[in-house]
Amino acid sequence: MSMRSRTHKLLAGLAAAALALGLAACSGGGGTASAPSTGGSAAGTPSGTVVWSTWGTPEELTRFKDFNTQFMKKYPTIKVTLNPVASYSDYHSKLLAQLTSNTAPDVFYIGDDKLGQFVSANVLLPLNDRMAAPGSKITKDAFFDGLFGAAQTDGQTYAAPNDVNPDLFWYDKKALAAAGITEDPATLAASDQWTTAKFLEMNDKLKAAGLTGSMYWNYWATHYSWISAQGGKAYDGNTFVGNTDPKTVAAVTTLGQYFQNKTFVVADTLPEGAGADSIFVRHKAGFFVQGRYTIGTLKSAGVQADYDVVRWPTADGKAAPTGVAASYLAINKNTKNADAAFLFWSEFLNADGQKFRLAGGGNAVPSVKGADEVVLEDNYPANAQGILDARNIGFVNYPAEAKVPALSSDISDLFLKLYEGKADAQGTLDAVAALAKEKIGS
Amino acid sequence: MTTTRPAPAVPAVRRTAAWRRRDRRWGWVFVGPQLIGMVLFILGPFVASLVLAFASWDGLTALKWVGLANFVDQLTDELLLKSIVNTLLIALITVPVGLALALLIAVALEKLRTRSLYLVLFFAPVVTSTVAVAMIWQQLFRADGVLSGFIASTFHIDPPDWLGDPHLALISVCIVTIWSSVGLNAVIFLAGLQGISPSLIEAAQLDGAGAWSLLTRIRMPLISPIIFFSTIVAFISSLQTFDTVFVLTADAGPDNATRTIVYHIYDLGFGRFEFGPSSAASVILLVLTLVITGLQFAAQKRFVHYESD
Repeated sequence: MSMRSRTHKLLAGLAAAALALGLAACSGGGGTASAPSTGGSAAGTPSGTVVWSTWGTPEELTRFKDFNTQFMKKYPTIKVTLNPVASYSDYHSKLLAQLTSNTAPDVFYIGDDKLGQFVSANVLLPLNDRMAAPGSKITKDAFFDGLFGAAQTDGQTYAAPNDVNPDLFWYDKKALAAAGITEDPATLAASDQWTTAKFLEMNDKLKAAGLTGSMYWNYWATHYSWISAQGGKAYDGNTFVGNTDPKTVAAVTTLGQYFQNKTFVVADTLPEGAGADSIFVRHKAGFFVQGRYTIGTLKSAGVQADYDVVRWPTADGKAAPTGVAASYLAINKNTKNADAAFLFWSEFLNADGQKFRLAGGGNAVPSVKGADEVVLEDNYPANAQGILDARNIGFVNYPAEAKVPALSSDISDLFLKLYEGKADAQGTLDAVAALAKEKIGS
Repeated sequence: MTTTRPAPAVPAVRRTAAWRRRDRRWGWVFVGPQLIGMVLFILGPFVASLVLAFASWDGLTALKWVGLANFVDQLTDELLLKSIVNTLLIALITVPVGLALALLIAVALEKLRTRSLYLVLFFAPVVTSTVAVAMIWQQLFRADGVLSGFIASTFHIDPPDWLGDPHLALISVCIVTIWSSVGLNAVIFLAGLQGISPSLIEAAQLDGAGAWSLLTRIRMPLISPIIFFSTIVAFISSLQTFDTVFVLTADAGPDNATRTIVYHIYDLGFGRFEFGPSSAASVILLVLTLVITGLQFAAQKRFVHYESD
C-alpha cells in the first residue's frame, strides 16, 4: 500500500470516526450488527440474529413488531430485532454513520431519494442470484415492472420496494356538486373520457365557485406525473430532455398557469392549522393528489362517503404511466448472516408479508403480485381498482435523478418558482436541465 | 538501653517536588476525562472538518482530494450566500433588540422587591430546551393558533401566515430567538447594575442628572464591559442559529427564507451527504465568526469603558 493511499485511508478513517461519534452522540441506541450465524438448523433454515431498521409512525412500528413476532414463530432459529428511527429526516444520516463505522443493521429501509447513492456506493448485497435460487420466498418477477428504479443498476438488483403509493387525484364529490359539476371523474375514466380538457374545465368551475381546484405536494411525482400524463418526456436515459420536448413545455406551461392563477395550490405552502388536509375534508377543494394514506385522513374526519379517487387526466382520456412513491428494503453487504437476512427480507416483501403488513386499513399498496386484496377488501374507495391500475403501469423516480441526493428536491424548488409566478415554463425547464446536467453529469 | 537514630531530615525542596509530582498525577486524573472528551468530541471533529474541507467524501466511497474546489463551490453557491444573509439578518435583529429589551427589563426590575419572581419567569425560556420552545411557538404561529386567533378576533383581519410567508418566517424566528434569550441577558445586566457603587449615582444626582442621563451617561458606560460581553456571546450564538430554524420552519422555511449557515452545513452534510462542501462551509462560518468578533473587539475601544481607564 502506498504512503499516499495509507494517508487517504487514515484521513477517511478519522473523518468516519468523527462522523460516527458525532451521530452516535445525537442518536440514542445503535443499529448494532447482528451476532454471527450459529449454523443452520436441521431443516436447512438459516439461524442467527437479524437486526433491521426503518422509520415509521407508532402504528406502523407496532405492525412491524407483530411481523417480527410472526416471523420468529415461523423460523424459531432466527431472532429478529427492530431498531426504529422515528424521523425520516434523521434516518439516513444515522444509517450512513452506521455503514461507515461497520455497525449497520443487516436489513434496512432506504428512501427513494437516497437509494441511488447507497447502490452506487456498493454497500448493498446483490440480490439477483438469491432471488433466482431454488427455495427463495420471492422472485424478481413477483414485483411490478417500473417499481425498481434506482434499485437496479447494470442488470443487478440491490433492493426492492417494500410497498408503494401511487399518487392519484382524490376528489370531493360534494365540492364538485357545489361547483355545478355533474359528471363523475372515475366514471369518465372508466370509459376513457377523463381528459385533460375535462379536468381543467372542472377546475375552472371550482375556482368560479370560490373553491380550490386541485392541491398538490411539490415533489417529483407531481411534475413528472403531469408531464407523463400529457404525453411529454422528462428524461431520456440519464439526460433531462424536458426543456427541448414541445409536449413537455406545453404541459408545464399549462401547469404553471393554473398554479399562478391560484386554481391549483401547492399543499406544502399552506399554513399549519389550515393545511391541505383540513381544506380537503371541509369540502373547500375539488381534487387533492395523494396516496392511499388519504383514506386515514378522510375516515378520521368521518367524511369518507363523499370522496373517491381517479387517475391523472390525459389528452385522449386513456390511462398513462404516472408517479408512484416508494421506499425500499435492502440488505447490508457486510451482514454476517446473509442467509437469515435474505430470508427475512424475502418474507417481508412477498405477498404474504405485504398482506400481513398492509391489511386492515393499511396506508399503502402492495409492490408485488398476489396481495391486491388488501386494497380491495373494504370496497373503499369505490374506485380502489384505479389505485392498483396506476401502480401496474406507474413509474418511480427516474434513476438518474434519484442517484443524486437532494437533486429531486432542488428541482422541485425550481418548479415552485414557476408555480409562484417567479419563472416561466421554458425558463424553469431550462434551469432544471442545467441543474440535472451539472449534478448527473450528462 | 536502646539508642534511636533520628530519621534523616528530608530536604524541603525534595518534599515540595514530590508533592508537585503527586499533585500533577492527580491533576491528570481529574482533568483526563474532560480532556479525552474534548479530544474525541471537539478536537477530533474539528480536525476532521478541516481535512474534509479539502476533500470530496460522501461517507460511503473513497475520499478524494479536491484542493480548494469546495471553497470555490461554496463561495459561489447562492444557497450559502442566502444563508449568510439570513444569518446576519437574524444577528442584526436579535442582538440589538434582545439586548435593549434585556436592559429595559433589568432597569425595571432593579428596584422591585419581587424581582426574583420576575427573574424566574424571564429566565424560564433560557433553561427550557430550544426544541421544546420552538415546538410551542410553532403551535402559537399556526393559522388556527392562539396568536392568529387573537389577531383575527381583535383586528378583524386575516392573520398573517407566520411561518409560510417568506418575509414573515425570518421575523418569526427572530421573535422566538429574542424571547428565549432575553432572560439570560436581563440577569447579567441586573447583576451589573447592582454592582455600580451608589456613591457614583448619588454624585450624579447631586449634579442634576435625570433618570435618562443617569442611565445613558453613568450606568450604561459603567456596565459597558458587561454589555460588550453579552454582545459578543449573543452575536456568536446568532451566527450558530440552527435548532429554532430546524424545528420551527421545516426545510429552512418557504423558499429557504430561514436557511441559516449552520442549517446549510447540516443540509449539505446530512441531507446530501456532501461532507466536503459542508466542511468548507463550516470553515467559512469559522472565519466569519472570527472576523465579526474581531470587529467587535476593535469597536470596543470606542464604546467600552473599563474602571482602570
